[in-house]
Amino acid sequence: MTSWLADSSVLLAREDVDDEHHHHARLLLERPEPIATLDLAYYEVTNVAARAWKDVAAARRLRGVVAALAADGGLVRADEALIAAAADLATAHTLSVYDAAYVAAAAAIGARLVSCDIRDLVSGGLALSPEEAASV
Amino acid sequence: MVSFPDELLEAVDTEASRRGTTRSGLLRTFADEGLRRRSAERAARIAELMRDCASHGGDAAELVKRHRPRT
Repeated sequence: MTSWLADSSVLLAREDVDDEHHHHARLLLERPEPIATLDLAYYEVTNVAARAWKDVAAARRLRGVVAALAADGGLVRADEALIAAAADLATAHTLSVYDAAYVAAAAAIGARLVSCDIRDLVSGGLALSPEEAASV
Repeated sequence: MVSFPDELLEAVDTEASRRGTTRSGLLRTFADEGLRRRSAERAARIAELMRDCASHGGDAAELVKRHRPRT
């Protein structure tokens, strides 16, 4: 059984019915297979919901999604080793350390990264899109 | 290596015998069932939370990047 790690864009796409990845993000998060995220997602989903969408109800729902993943054992917490790995990946692949932290977190738990970030992560072979992951 | 208290191991062996399986077989079944049940509960919880999901204009990945702290 494949284990997945979703970045914050996947969680946000699940909330946003306008997002082109909404349907497949929903399929991925609501099937009974192991899926995790990184603690950074708590900040990022809340930041987008509160600052960009200005929607406190959406922010609350999204925090609930991260909490549900955590209750299923699916919350990876950043530590010194993970950030060191992220720094190396960021340099090697010309990524932000934020994106690289998700790549490092997936590697740390033996999962495949899922992201809606086609430009920096999916096209570089560092993640699968929700569509690709849902079809596995 | 997995260790169990003697009393629990005895209960596992009794249940394995009752089901006509081995200790290992029963523990595999319990582990599989436990993991699936927990993931099913998570999936149901997310579906419940997202019943009221809304329209926000799309492009989540770009919004995440745009709202990260600038270095």
